[in-house]
Amino acid sequence: MHRTRREILLNAGRGFGAMALTSLLQGASAEHVNPLAPKPPHQAAYAKSVIYLFMHGGTSHVDTFDPKPELTRRSGQAISAEQVKGLKTSFIHDPSKAVLRGSPWKFQPYGKSGIEVSELYHNVGERIDDIAVIRSCFGDAFDHAPAIYLRNSGSQLPGRPCLGSWAIYGLGSENENLPAFVVMSDGSTKSGPQAYSAGFLPTVYQGTVFRGGANPILNLATPSGVSTEQQKQTLSFIDRLDREHLAARGEDSTLEARIASYELAYKMQSSAPEAVDITKETDATKALYGIGETRTDDFGRKCLLARRLVERGVRFIQIYAGTNTGDDWDNAHTDLIGSHNLMCGKTDKPIAALLTDLKGRGLLESTLVIWGGEFGRTPLSQGQNGRDHHPYGFSMWMAGGGVKGGQVIGSTDEFGLRAVENAFDAHDVNATILRLMGMDHLKLTHLYQGREQRLTDVHGEHEFTKKLIGS
Amino acid sequence: MWRIGFLACFSTLLIGADDALPARAVAVLQANCSGCHGESAAMSGLRLSSRDQALKGGTRGPAITPGDAKQSRLYLAVTHAAEPSMPPGKSLETGDIETIRQWIDSGARWPAAKLSSWWSFQKPKRVAVPALNVAWVRTPIDAFILAKLNEKNLNAAPEADRFTLIRRATFDLHGLPPTAEEARSFIGDSSPNAYEKLIDRLLASPRYGEKWGRHWLDLVRYGDTAGFEQDPYILEAWRYRDWVINALNSDKPYDRFVKEQIAGDELFPDDADARSGTGMYCVGPNRDMLFKVEDQNRVEVLTDYVDTTSSVFLGLTVGCARCHDHKFDPIPQRDYYRMRAIFEPAVKTRVFLEYNEARGYDLAENRREIKLRQIADEITRIQSPYRKALLDKKLASAPAKLREAFLTDGPKRTPEQVELVSGAAGRAYRIGDDDIRAALSQADTERLHAIEKRLVSMFAGYKPPPMSPGITDIGPESPHTYIAPRGNWQMRGDLVGPGFLSVLGGGDVPVEPPPDAVTTLRRKALAEWIATPDNPLTARVMVNRVWQGHFGRGLVGTPSDYGVRGEAPSHPELLDWLANEFVAQGWSLKKLHRTIMLSSVYRQSSVGGSKQDPQNLYLSHYNRRRLQSEEIRDSMLAGAGALNMKMGGIPVVPPLDDNELYGIIGDPSDAWVVTSDKTEHTRRSVYLISRRAFRSPMQEVFDSPDGNAPCPRRESSTIAPQSLTLLNGRFTIEQSKLLADALLKKPAPERIAHAWRQVLSRPPSDLETGAATDLLAAQAKITGSEPAALAELVRGLFNLNEFLYVD
Repeated sequence: MHRTRREILLNAGRGFGAMALTSLLQGASAEHVNPLAPKPPHQAAYAKSVIYLFMHGGTSHVDTFDPKPELTRRSGQAISAEQVKGLKTSFIHDPSKAVLRGSPWKFQPYGKSGIEVSELYHNVGERIDDIAVIRSCFGDAFDHAPAIYLRNSGSQLPGRPCLGSWAIYGLGSENENLPAFVVMSDGSTKSGPQAYSAGFLPTVYQGTVFRGGANPILNLATPSGVSTEQQKQTLSFIDRLDREHLAARGEDSTLEARIASYELAYKMQSSAPEAVDITKETDATKALYGIGETRTDDFGRKCLLARRLVERGVRFIQIYAGTNTGDDWDNAHTDLIGSHNLMCGKTDKPIAALLTDLKGRGLLESTLVIWGGEFGRTPLSQGQNGRDHHPYGFSMWMAGGGVKGGQVIGSTDEFGLRAVENAFDAHDVNATILRLMGMDHLKLTHLYQGREQRLTDVHGEHEFTKKLIGS
Repeated sequence: MWRIGFLACFSTLLIGADDALPARAVAVLQANCSGCHGESAAMSGLRLSSRDQALKGGTRGPAITPGDAKQSRLYLAVTHAAEPSMPPGKSLETGDIETIRQWIDSGARWPAAKLSSWWSFQKPKRVAVPALNVAWVRTPIDAFILAKLNEKNLNAAPEADRFTLIRRATFDLHGLPPTAEEARSFIGDSSPNAYEKLIDRLLASPRYGEKWGRHWLDLVRYGDTAGFEQDPYILEAWRYRDWVINALNSDKPYDRFVKEQIAGDELFPDDADARSGTGMYCVGPNRDMLFKVEDQNRVEVLTDYVDTTSSVFLGLTVGCARCHDHKFDPIPQRDYYRMRAIFEPAVKTRVFLEYNEARGYDLAENRREIKLRQIADEITRIQSPYRKALLDKKLASAPAKLREAFLTDGPKRTPEQVELVSGAAGRAYRIGDDDIRAALSQADTERLHAIEKRLVSMFAGYKPPPMSPGITDIGPESPHTYIAPRGNWQMRGDLVGPGFLSVLGGGDVPVEPPPDAVTTLRRKALAEWIATPDNPLTARVMVNRVWQGHFGRGLVGTPSDYGVRGEAPSHPELLDWLANEFVAQGWSLKKLHRTIMLSSVYRQSSVGGSKQDPQNLYLSHYNRRRLQSEEIRDSMLAGAGALNMKMGGIPVVPPLDDNELYGIIGDPSDAWVVTSDKTEHTRRSVYLISRRAFRSPMQEVFDSPDGNAPCPRRESSTIAPQSLTLLNGRFTIEQSKLLADALLKKPAPERIAHAWRQVLSRPPSDLETGAATDLLAAQAKITGSEPAALAELVRGLFNLNEFLYVD
């Protein structure tokens, strides 16, 4: 309400840019006023865009990227109470009475680096020389929603801005006609939309959910039963009366911005459908992502869409794999084998394809691809056939965006119970991601409730960018 | 625009305002530098505890060159532009560096007074109303505002026309547009007190409580669910919502309103309604949802109680002091834990609204539970043989391994068998209720029908319990409170007792309650300490919130931060005058609204503006505002003639389609249980369910708060998704069709005018009638359908700026 005229005009493009407004702003130095205008980073950036593949529900680290021969050797054996002291579990009643459980899957070395990856992720294994595996993540939230909030926003309690929101708050957007921060999911998640919320940052920094179909954004399409021609007529009626209304009131930037936002809305009706239209992609590309195959089709489309969005300058894309109303990593509580065969089967090929495709197009250098989730799973058996939640030591990986591939950072103990070497918490990881995007987590702040708030709160002191870029 | 004669400036005692920047800057130094360059240490000979010392500097020379940050060693050090960079091994936050820069550039003045004499911590002064003898000055408010306008060489805008005034006042007090008839009648009212009558009529209407109740609900982070993965219902949270609306409608004095919320149970133990006020502590995000960490949950709950209490009633952000002494405000960590000790014994409870009914409800519920268990058992016994027979039949043709897995007792199954049964292969062999229903014998069908009848009679007339959520103490003794070093709740620092913020005078709460007490009476003491004219913040904070509700911006621009980081008041004398007047008028909110709305300032036109005052801090015109999300929806319903004015009761869940519900946690049949009575779907927005983990598209794009923290002021954004929602959203289409249907029943020549009156509360101009006629013709030509053309006209009207903004 109390902004300068120019600021308000540019705000009209908030969420999707300000293209239609440029005519109103000739000669204006837009970057100072449009909250989503591209902003210079604090430091040289390694990555321009981020694709964050969030394995939501809990992927077992000891069955994917953290081989534990000792665990396999002692599978079925008890563990000492000392070793599980302080370990909180969700469904394992008493960890000291649970038994160790080796991975039912085989690991083998891949690439020149020879890093071992489980057969569950054999396609990703083939790309290992582009990947830095971080085997030493840890946290203290051992239930889904708090852990998801923690990884995304630095707090177990909802209400704080997520990483994607901070990223576009700090850097703005390269594309004026698409959202700067896009979220794709399988629908219902365990955290709800608050995981991609802008929290106390302005609404403009909220993640925009892309649904399936030709019109990915809610209410983008002209309503059914209304033809394009009708829509045009009604819009021109609105425009005509709005201009009369404005003329009677003299200069008012808010009203002008609202008028402009209708022009923008109209233009977006073509740019967003174009971005999600994959019909022009070659058959080879589609096949690479597993589009057309039952298991991989859905996640393959999302990964391909992510590449198309990166090409169009979208800053931050987060894809949630897994849902709590269907195919779910978390079914590993009772069915490790089934859940992980299913979920890795859905994601392995598309993720490998994404890396291959980005690299082939020269985009991997400027695109940081992150694979991770809210926690790993217990090396201890839950019941006969399951693994429980496990935040005390688990894996994630990063590729592209300046990251030196073919390396392993950090480690867990012999069973994969705890991160022991180079242990990184959610804040360290988030500080590092910001740094790769060119931002200093200490400088990216927003005044709220009397404090200069930041994504990492008072933490993030073990930021590990140097290790990742290999310098 | 007309000019008011220039009158002698009266003195502007901007208490503390000039000190804001210096205070902030010195607080930054205090927090970051004083360890090495303070009273007790002077590394490199430098102390930063006074201006003289900073100018004198240390062995490297002066630390500050007043007026030129870029030439100042201090600034170069904190920006790491020169060695040594400071503080060692870390960086100041960007905002703090900027504070230092501005402060040095503006002369590096030290604050005149100590922080404890910060303006907001002093009681409101008795101020003389500026003597301005001009007709424009209708009320003391006008005198204060005009004096400042004169001082700034600004002119007041002329009075708005009558239509604008009634629309403004009706939206401000009711969150709804006036009806066309109300507008017409006000415009035609020639009595000298027509405007006063209007304001009195609006204040007397129950619509007032619904509009201003929503402001309060924002502030106390109200929601109907608790948040997190499960997002469970806070049962009967709506009782608190209704309590707020009723309190405002009955003009409950604000001091009493405060007392009932903080300590209704201790102050008014025999008054169930008063005790329901403590529901405020139950309707926030339930911070006790973390799994298996009950001790941590308890800490989070108490933190929420302390933070919410201080931010809502005192306008202070004490949260920082949870971990360390407040960096900017004089709130030591000890004070924070003393305040926490007040809430330490508090636990959630149920307030019986009517004792016998509530007891009766509990007893009925208790018996029903026992009956339900028997019924469940009966159902299982009827179904089991059928389930087994159907499974046997299916398994007969199943692969041997699968059959064996199914026939093995659950606990004896091998891992492979578990996977077979629970996996995709096993899913095809599950027997559903419908399979069983189809197989039932006549006799068993009848037995089930009999059970259904019993269930129906058990639940016919089932109502929510006559109970309200609230808090009370576990007893007259409280658990101990320890300071948590660095905010780490697992560590125990000093034991502290309950007490008040020392910067506001401090004082202990007696630890030993009287012998006959059933609670500790700690919250009673707190409530009495807050809800008194002696507290410098309470009245000021509330009058400022009301002012903000009318002008879009408070006299203090940071309505919940009156500390050093907050903004200084634009009109400190007016703020104090309003605070004193509020108390003198018995803490009546309605009188306060009336005082504000009768002023010439409030009645100004919104046309105007000055380059000198782009933010309109000095109110040289009225601030045009966008409707809030609730007002938009309610106004559309009103325009369509569909608004159901029923008040109160359990939250309404309107239907949303799959696309709109996308992302909601869990199965929508659990998470979004649509209200079965369709007439409820068009009730006012304040009665719609507010789920913490899910906001409807309208709430989300139009800046509704998420309920995770107190929201003292909503954002008013202008973003493209708002246009999409308003233009293409299902709700707009539905309401447009509704009004179009009503228009069809009118004679053709009256339709356009009627549409205008319904949506915009006024008849159309000739030009507008022309535009509408053109649109209808064009639409009819495309579709050949008159109803469709009219619906498009209405859709257009719902998207007009005139509809969406209040002048």
